[in-house]
Amino acid sequence: MANTRTVSRRERIRDVIGLLARLILAAVFLISGALKALDARETLVAVRAYQLLPESLVGTVAAVLPYLELALGLLLLVGLATRLTAVLSALLLAAVIAGVISAAARGLSIDCGCFGGGGQVEAGPTAYTEEILRDGGLLILAVYLVIRPDTPLSVDRQAHRRTSHPA
Amino acid sequence: MAQSGVKGPGKGPSGGGKGSSGGKGSSGGRSGASRQSVAAARRSSPGNNRTQLIIGGIAIVVIIVIIVIGVVLNRQQTATQAEGYGASTQSVATASADGVVTVTKPGSTPKATVDIYEDALCPACAELERQFGQQINQALDNGTLTANYHMVNFLNASSASGDYSTRAAGALLCVAQNSGSQPGVYMAFHSALFAPENQPEENGTSDLSNQQLADLAKSVGASDAAQTCISSGQNVQAAGTAATAFIATLNQITGGRAATPTVVKDGAPIQLNTDWLTNLVG
Repeated sequence: MANTRTVSRRERIRDVIGLLARLILAAVFLISGALKALDARETLVAVRAYQLLPESLVGTVAAVLPYLELALGLLLLVGLATRLTAVLSALLLAAVIAGVISAAARGLSIDCGCFGGGGQVEAGPTAYTEEILRDGGLLILAVYLVIRPDTPLSVDRQAHRRTSHPA
Repeated sequence: MAQSGVKGPGKGPSGGGKGSSGGKGSSGGRSGASRQSVAAARRSSPGNNRTQLIIGGIAIVVIIVIIVIGVVLNRQQTATQAEGYGASTQSVATASADGVVTVTKPGSTPKATVDIYEDALCPACAELERQFGQQINQALDNGTLTANYHMVNFLNASSASGDYSTRAAGALLCVAQNSGSQPGVYMAFHSALFAPENQPEENGTSDLSNQQLADLAKSVGASDAAQTCISSGQNVQAAGTAATAFIATLNQITGGRAATPTVVKDGAPIQLNTDWLTNLVG
């Protein structure tokens, strides 16, 4: 028989990592989404500042983005459909990272606008590297959850527990 | 909602998976052995697949609902205020010695006086103009608002010519000095500078020359004197000096975080939410 002790500990460690990944991502998305939602105008300016989208799309993206983040944050917080949410989160983060890299490469001077409050930066350097590293770290967390979406304290696990047991 | 799309076998009792969840402690114990079999059961039972689809469906619905609500909210928040009012027709502008342009309706007693700090190249300022420009025009014409414009220039380095912000500020001073008494001309020129079709791009390949600024002023009815003032760059130096002082003031007011646009009332920046002007001039 397998060494039950080892399996249990590994599972437990993965559970903890998974839970942390979920909660950290949830916190970042909820805060980021809320800040953007509260300042719709700045978000609009921030999205435009990246100069990546045609003007016709800027408004829509700026309108949708905060609420997509809030929705993902909420779902991650309660652990509902974690794999799906993690995939969407990973795609969103990858897009943001690509956008920041693109802005950095073109020498655009923008506030990253990742936590709301985007737009012009007065003098001072724009912290691109920091942003890319931070979003990269979050992307890793999201990918972890795509691979192992089963986490403790989640609606997912509750629902599956109910399903796996005879009524 | 997701029920209709479920393609798994529609099992009656949801406590399915008898075969695969068998084995040891499927009673929910958290010990190692039962944990492994429960985990295996989670992955394989048909009831589990159906649950996953339902969960996925719920998640998608949640996302859609939140986004739809959000977009509606967003439209409200960014809606152009006093849409349809158009240009200001009764306001006049006066330039002070230190470069502040005061715009007001002659003979009026405004309910509020605000100081507006802007940079001619600033897209956020253009966005402010888009959303509130007409409402500002309306308040000026109603005599309920007096606006003091302070043009700053920290975005010079982002302009193709290297000094667009200063030159545009200089042009505004020219119009205020030479055509300020012509009702509505200053505000028309001010709005024109921030219009999407006129405002140069940050880090763009071109911006407006002094002659082009003069032509723009002409198109809104500025006098020949104003145009000559602009094309000759007469006020550029003064505008630069004024801008430096304004930036210092802005840093003071905001605790070192000068940014544009900033609207200041009674020495403190105003939170520029959807109703800021409505609340001020009621």
